[in-house]
Amino acid sequence: MKSNLAILLLPVLLVTGFLALPLLAVFLKVLPQEGVWATLQQPLVTEALRLSVITSLSSLLLAVVFGTPIAYLLARCHLPGAALLDTLIDLPMVLPPTVAGVALLMAFGRRGLLGSWLDAVGIHIGFTTVAVILAQSFVSMPFYIRAARAGFQSVDQELERVAYTLGHSAFSTFLRVTVPLALPALLGGAVMAWARALGEFGATIMFAGNLIGRTQTMPLAIYIAMESDLTAALVLSAILVLVSFSVLLLVRSLLRRSPFGAYA
Amino acid sequence: MLEVAVEKHFDGFRLDVAFTADTGLVVIFGPSGAGKSLTLQAIAGTFLPKTGRIVIDGQIVYDSAQQINFPPQARRVGYVPQHYALFPHLTAKENISFGLVHLPRHRQEQRTGELIELFDLRGLEHRRPRELSGGQQQRIALARALAVHPRLLLLDEPFAALDAPLRGALRQELAQVQERWGITTLIVTHDLADAFALGQRVIVYDGGRVIQQGTREEVFFRPVTHRVAEFVGTGNILPAVVEQTEEGTLWLRWQGHRIATMPALFAPRTLVYLCIRPTQILIVRPDRLAERERENLLCGRIVSEMMQAETYTLHMRLDHSNAEHDLEIALPAYVYHRLSLDAEKRLMVELRRQALHVIPRDAGTT
Repeated sequence: MKSNLAILLLPVLLVTGFLALPLLAVFLKVLPQEGVWATLQQPLVTEALRLSVITSLSSLLLAVVFGTPIAYLLARCHLPGAALLDTLIDLPMVLPPTVAGVALLMAFGRRGLLGSWLDAVGIHIGFTTVAVILAQSFVSMPFYIRAARAGFQSVDQELERVAYTLGHSAFSTFLRVTVPLALPALLGGAVMAWARALGEFGATIMFAGNLIGRTQTMPLAIYIAMESDLTAALVLSAILVLVSFSVLLLVRSLLRRSPFGAYA
Repeated sequence: MLEVAVEKHFDGFRLDVAFTADTGLVVIFGPSGAGKSLTLQAIAGTFLPKTGRIVIDGQIVYDSAQQINFPPQARRVGYVPQHYALFPHLTAKENISFGLVHLPRHRQEQRTGELIELFDLRGLEHRRPRELSGGQQQRIALARALAVHPRLLLLDEPFAALDAPLRGALRQELAQVQERWGITTLIVTHDLADAFALGQRVIVYDGGRVIQQGTREEVFFRPVTHRVAEFVGTGNILPAVVEQTEEGTLWLRWQGHRIATMPALFAPRTLVYLCIRPTQILIVRPDRLAERERENLLCGRIVSEMMQAETYTLHMRLDHSNAEHDLEIALPAYVYHRLSLDAEKRLMVELRRQALHVIPRDAGTT
């Protein structure tokens, strides 16, 4: 029995090393670099940081505002074509981001299906900050919707029924019962969606381009900096690793410790 | 006063029920999956039937013909689902005041305070539901429902989540609550003891239909079909044949014996069921046989016996019978021992005609 377990230890060690070493390497390489602080103040870095914060929070806001009703609908109603809608919503999670970028360009770009109409009335989306936000929303919204739907589904409908009989409207019930009970799932989904938006690269570079201060978010800045300024690339990478790690910890603790426990 | 008629066909199940309930405690009794909970939801307004009519205290809250359908918010019905559905993210106090948020703060406080006092919940105000016992949870659910002055109280399996010793106490508590508030209360249960203890009026459900409704005495002692007789624990449902009707007596033949029952309109040779509850069978001591006039005396021996708590259930096979057993008899343990039935095993019983009930055999075969 013991020797069997020892054999299992080998892949565990190999995989752990394989996953941890590159992440460790980022920090080990960034620390001895000179001028880390100065690098942090370079326009390339500060602009990328600023843009990433603005765009990722904007796309998160879009995901929450539009995704919440959709998630509730999917959780509560048996719509005809719900399976199709479901698949459509999940699709961006498996679609290669570059394909998503091309698809967005073909829809909203200057010569795109909708884009040519918008262009005629003077609205240009391609290669603007708005395009970055759209690209991020496209790939990150499914993460929020999926989590929110699961969260809403886990709320016992009997609780909502009781709230109705106590005089609460559907909206009041949603705010006072459904949302508070689904909150851990909603927050978890929001954090995952935000992290996905923050790391968005493929769709952004295809659809929004790589313009400093307008569309160059952190991942894009890292890509550019690798050719000219390794320190900047490392600093930005380290920030993203830290953020990703914290996000996962946060999500795990949110999902594990539902504040209300079982109530049945 | 409550008047209910609802019908809906869905997922291969057909709910088609109609009943009335006057004030007091009314029990909807039947096996799970009979449509009991769905009926409560239809009354509460959270389940929409296809056709029907629901009238609460003279107000039509649903009528498919007149296209009236009050939303649950406007029905003024207190609804306590199975497991109580307390809001797990709110404290006991917040749960109770949940239906009062439209009131000014001091009115909310006052009303909530009254209910906490009344339901003996002082000291538990700030606990969350998961920190409370089943009985406390039930009291909070009742207080929450009653806070908004409903006209009708709907309770779905109120004792399902509780241990047996607690059930008895809470049945009593529930009956007291009903009496104090004078509110018509509709209780759904699949538990015979609950139904018997609480139902002033009993509505028996089976497969989405009402198969009998009436007072507790009617339903438990005069079931109209074999199925109802089974549900209400009649115990002895014996296939018999009508022999003749005489002045004051209906004579049946069962297992070769002539049985005298209360007069009823049956033609000779009608196939019937002779029903008697196990606790209603009298055991006759030979030395007291002559004490008074006896009827329907049967002799036999005990073929099996089972002790539950303080009751013995005996299975008796009549002399000259080749059935596994013919009668099920229940008696208190002390009687069992006083009659030394454990040694004797032979038994004479009397089926008093007041305890006998006759059902036509074709009833309810549809």
